[in-house]
Amino acid sequence: MSKQLNLWPARMDLLESLTGLLLVLFIWGHMFFESSILLGKDAMLWVTRMFEGAHIFDKPYPLLVSGAVAAIFVLIAVHAILALRKFPGSYRQYHSFHRHMGAMRHADTTLWYVQVITGFAMFFLASSHLYVVFVQPDNIGPYASSDRVWTGRFWILYVLLLISVHLHAGIGMYRLAMKWWPFKAASAALARKRLKLAMWCVIAFFLCLGSASLVTYMKIGYEHADRAGERYVPATESNHPVSN
Amino acid sequence: MQIIYTDVLVIGGGLAGQRAAIGAKRRGQEVIVLSLVPAKRSHSSAAQGGMQASLGNCLGGSGDNEDIHFTDTVRGSDWGADQDVVRMFTHTAPKAIRELAAWGVPWNRVQRGDRQITVNGEKQTITEKDEAHGLITSRNFGGTQKWRACYVADGTGHAMLYTMSNQAIAANIPVHERMEAIALIHQDGRCCGAIVRNLMTGELLAYVAKATCIATGGFGRIYRVSTNAIINEGMGAAIALETGIATLGNMEAIQFHPTGIFPAGILVTEGCRGDGGLLLDGSQHRFMPDYEPEKAELASRDVVSRRMEEHITAGHAAQSRFGEHLWLDIRLLGAQHINTKLREVKEICQYFLGVDPAHDLIPVRPAQHYSMGGVRTNHRGESPQLRGLFSAGESACWDMHGFNRLGGNSVAETVVAGMIVGESMADFCDSADGALNISTSLVEHFGKQQQQQLGIIADPAGNESAFALMKQMQETMTANVGIFRDEPRLQEAVTTLQDLQRRSRNIRLRSSAAGANPELVAAYRVQRMLKLAQCVAYGALQRNESRGAHFRADYPQRNDLDWMRRTLASWPDAEADLPTLNYEDLDIMRMEIPPGWRGYGARDYIDHPDTARRQQQIDTLLGELGPADRYQQQEAVMPFKQLLPEHLRGTNQRLGDEE
Amino acid sequence: MSAIPVQQVGRTLYIHILRHNPCDPLSEAHLQTFELEEADAMTLFIALNEIRENHDPSLQFDFVCRAGICGSCGMIINGRPGLACRTLTKDLPDNITLAPLPAFELIGDLSVNTGKWMRGMSEQLETWVHSQGLENADIDSLEQTMEPELAEQLYELERCIECGCCIAACGTALMREDFIGAVGLNQITRFQLDPRDQRSDAQFYQLVGDDSGVFGCMTLLGCEDMCPKQLPLATQIAFLRRRMAMV
Ligand SMILES: Cc1cc2nc3c(=O)[nH]c(=O)nc-3n(C[C@H](O)[C@H](O)[C@H](O)COP(=O)(O)OP(=O)(O)OC[C@H]3O[C@@H](n4cnc5c(N)ncnc54)[C@H](O)[C@@H]3O)c2cc1C
Ligand code: HEM
Ligand code: HEM
Ligand code: SF4
Ligand code: F3S
Ligand code: FES
Repeated sequence: MSKQLNLWPARMDLLESLTGLLLVLFIWGHMFFESSILLGKDAMLWVTRMFEGAHIFDKPYPLLVSGAVAAIFVLIAVHAILALRKFPGSYRQYHSFHRHMGAMRHADTTLWYVQVITGFAMFFLASSHLYVVFVQPDNIGPYASSDRVWTGRFWILYVLLLISVHLHAGIGMYRLAMKWWPFKAASAALARKRLKLAMWCVIAFFLCLGSASLVTYMKIGYEHADRAGERYVPATESNHPVSN
Repeated sequence: MQIIYTDVLVIGGGLAGQRAAIGAKRRGQEVIVLSLVPAKRSHSSAAQGGMQASLGNCLGGSGDNEDIHFTDTVRGSDWGADQDVVRMFTHTAPKAIRELAAWGVPWNRVQRGDRQITVNGEKQTITEKDEAHGLITSRNFGGTQKWRACYVADGTGHAMLYTMSNQAIAANIPVHERMEAIALIHQDGRCCGAIVRNLMTGELLAYVAKATCIATGGFGRIYRVSTNAIINEGMGAAIALETGIATLGNMEAIQFHPTGIFPAGILVTEGCRGDGGLLLDGSQHRFMPDYEPEKAELASRDVVSRRMEEHITAGHAAQSRFGEHLWLDIRLLGAQHINTKLREVKEICQYFLGVDPAHDLIPVRPAQHYSMGGVRTNHRGESPQLRGLFSAGESACWDMHGFNRLGGNSVAETVVAGMIVGESMADFCDSADGALNISTSLVEHFGKQQQQQLGIIADPAGNESAFALMKQMQETMTANVGIFRDEPRLQEAVTTLQDLQRRSRNIRLRSSAAGANPELVAAYRVQRMLKLAQCVAYGALQRNESRGAHFRADYPQRNDLDWMRRTLASWPDAEADLPTLNYEDLDIMRMEIPPGWRGYGARDYIDHPDTARRQQQIDTLLGELGPADRYQQQEAVMPFKQLLPEHLRGTNQRLGDEE
Repeated sequence: MSAIPVQQVGRTLYIHILRHNPCDPLSEAHLQTFELEEADAMTLFIALNEIRENHDPSLQFDFVCRAGICGSCGMIINGRPGLACRTLTKDLPDNITLAPLPAFELIGDLSVNTGKWMRGMSEQLETWVHSQGLENADIDSLEQTMEPELAEQLYELERCIECGCCIAACGTALMREDFIGAVGLNQITRFQLDPRDQRSDAQFYQLVGDDSGVFGCMTLLGCEDMCPKQLPLATQIAFLRRRMAMV
């Protein structure tokens, strides 16, 4: 080989997919943890403490959360920068894509557009959310979170973020599969149909889960509104209160 | 006018044209290919069924060789072919296929072990040899003794043309697409290139070349119902005719394919019958064995087509809202076979008929399919009348098909002819004859002449519609110069065509659109097509015998006594309304196989005294030779290798040859 | 041009055609509507020829085989790319809008220069078997063997008719002119699979290992869904992506 291969395009494509995959796995996990509120305030507190390392170190270190947030932020930044390359680069490009999508009425083409829009939206939404949990890592907990959601009006952000992220993640996983998976040509059409169905199911599931927990946070926040700022003290620990 | 100079100008980007171009280019000539359409869209891509070459790898082909292929082809031609050329062809065909295999054509291969096939409507199991595994396989086709048609599913032509085009691209051969040659430039019996119209801008250009090759394919569109592409309008043959010098050979020899889907005329391959498909009539009775007990559906095309029309006339057709037709039944081959080996057929049925051939019958009726005739050339592919003019492929009559071509012999011919004619052109360019002394004023003269003619058409004085004339010509040809011909109908055709030709001088254009102007295209083409049609009709009228695809109901016998002759049509007087016909004798005394019965079809023909003399001579020759192998025997009867380019003379190796 | 005079079934079709003749400096792109009586088994090939013969002889379009095998007649039919010759009018609504394939140079009306694009693609991707000594290949001896299954697989990928529908169906190709699209990527996989082609993966990487090649594809899958030959484009692009990512 006389010419040196430029392996960057391959690496960037892989990295885009890899960061996307990690982010999806993260967000799906995040949904379960954060929905622990559905199981009760104690459960949520337990989960919060777990992330703060309280079960290992005997004492919660909220900075651990900040660390995680920073890591996620880096992932998102890398992912977004890589994905940004695929955004229509000019109005002309945007226009021709848009007209094409309108005329073709083709599901997967439209789904990509949804990904671009949601990705673009998350640029702001996710950053805001991450900023908040980054600077106030100790402000997470059954009451603290609920107060933020309700009294702090974060529910508006979360509704939008919830919809964006799950559409984006669901479609993203489907796209990842179509992009890399070694389907046999003969069975690809069937696999694709199934994947697409799975994608919608997963999206629906997480939207339901997220809505349910969001409503729960809102409800708790509403009931707790007059005492906003007060920390939750689990029944078992009420004799020696902790700082959050 | 822009003038482009090159060594070799190939008019036509089909299999024949591109192979010839590659050959000449390899010999160091500068080559340009012209094509009406992107080269890969040429009609060669429509060939479905297969390419004949006697490899003899699969069981059905075992024992095959050049001799058997030769016999089949000569019989198929009804002894109208030039036997030297057939020999050159059958000898080179295996090389052509092996070359294509090396170049990338994914020929279907022999699978060792048991396999189910369908013969005569019944399933049989055959066992392919171990040692043949992975070699190129072949399928059964009409009019052959062996399974000889090598294939790529039913996209043979497509695969071949793509490989060929890609190799031409690799060889850096420019293809000037959407360029139509509308006249040949010539002087003192020497062709020096062509005047060309750009079909995107309407502009005229001149291409000046030492050697010019017409490889423009067939001219089926002079008929209404044809399997041909709509660009198959015969402009290559027509511009050769319009030189007034070059001749067209055997134009009356037109092949009708048994299975055009009805009514669109789109072809479903002969491979359908080769693989075991059957022809049924209106009451779903399999009728071919009644007429042709030996070969049934797999007699040669002329015979099967005739039998089908005969059967329809006898009142056994199926009826549909479009008219009468017969059925092709490939259901018995099974969905698996159809989905892999007959995919294009399946798609065609699905899209154009709305039926699934695995479950439904396919409505078929014979349709115009192939023109055996074309620009007359010698065995090197050069016009005997016009130096520097060559021709290859379906547009040529170098004459290996005579009066009927065998299925699969045509794509094989295109490649073989390309291999040979490419060399001939290179030889010609390198020889003293090749030198070109041509003045720009001559080129300008030809250009102006064409400009003027186009101007006359565009002149709003006339009152005829090009499209209407075209339709009437096509109707006339299909109605009167079809499968069954007779004097009254042919006479009527000739008269009608004369009339149409007169009227075609009065075409009026409704549109003066800048650029390509499709109406103008139709106008200048119909004028030329009418001349070709007249060569066909008039030639058919004059030929008072039946031979191969040319069947005269009023002269049903083949007449070797009077008609061992090739028709040569020319058009020396541009104002004339009929071509000039001359005849060229076929010398039985030089034939390897003197005329006889074909092994199918009618058995009666009028003998020529030379036939017996030649047979005796051959017997004597072989007797004198004593014990000899088949190569030596052949060499003794009709030596031909000296006619081939040196690198194509080697013996073809086959499985089971003793080393 | 239908073969036999056919019964009229009565529906009136309104065919709206995007017209423009770049050779005429005065021409501007506009939609022109033609009314046409629908006939039995009418395809767009028949309909367009009828329009040219009876309504407007200057209408430009491309047909060659009229049988769905040559790839000439790709156009946008009611918003989607497809082969006009094998599109039956009975499968379409009364209003039919026809436009030339985007992404290709316009010749006039419905005719576009797919040939030039495809030749460019072939030259860029070197879509031919690369093998030593092809010119002097021994064509007298037995051919190289090949597994029957592999031969069929190769043909499966070679059924592409370069119609350009996958390019017109691909949002990426419309946004980025240098993207070689599914047609090019599929052809590369065809040669990659062919043992006769001696190119290494690294060599293929040089041809398609960037954003104008396989890494530019955003898996929109319009190509897969609109390919009239139903080529397994998604599978092939995924395959190529894995291969190229591992170089
Ligand atoms: C439907 C169908 C199926 C067939 N199946 C088989 C089969 O299975 N086996 C077989 O052996 N044969 C088959 N044949 C026959 C065979 O395909 C053709 O005879 C053969 O391919 C012709 O090749 P060609 O190179 O001579 O011409 P073509 O492939 O027709 O090419 C002609 C070229 O000339 C160009 N051209 C024409 N006029 C001009 C002009 N004036 N100026 C510039 N360029 C011009 C065209 O653009 C085109 O590139 C079939 C034919 C048809 C119609
Ligand atoms: C905040 C900024 C984000 C932006 C701007 C963004 C944008 C995009 C875009 C445009 C694509 C399509 C890329 C392509 O077609 O090649 C994409 C793909 C993807 N995104 Fe995001 N995204 C963001 C965040 C996220 C998040 C938070 C997740 C996880 C939940 C995620 C998961 C994915 C996945 C899995 C893919 C598919 C990857 C691929 O095609 O290789 N993205 N993103
Ligand atoms: C390590 C990083 C993260 C942490 C620690 C974190 C933490 C939390 C917490 C504690 C909540 C509950 C509400 C609140 O307290 O405000 C929440 C909700 C939410 N987070 Fe995150 N988050 C992180 C990253 C993300 C990312 C990257 C996304 C998406 C891009 C995201 C999307 C959401 C959404 C949509 C909700 C609302 C959930 C619902 O509707 O129930 N989070 N997050
Ligand atoms: S891949 Fe399909 S859509 Fe694309 S050019 Fe080939 S046949 Fe047409
Ligand atoms: S539509 Fe285009 S983006 Fe890729 S999957 Fe097909 S090439
Ligand atoms: S005309 Fe050939 S595919 Fe439509």
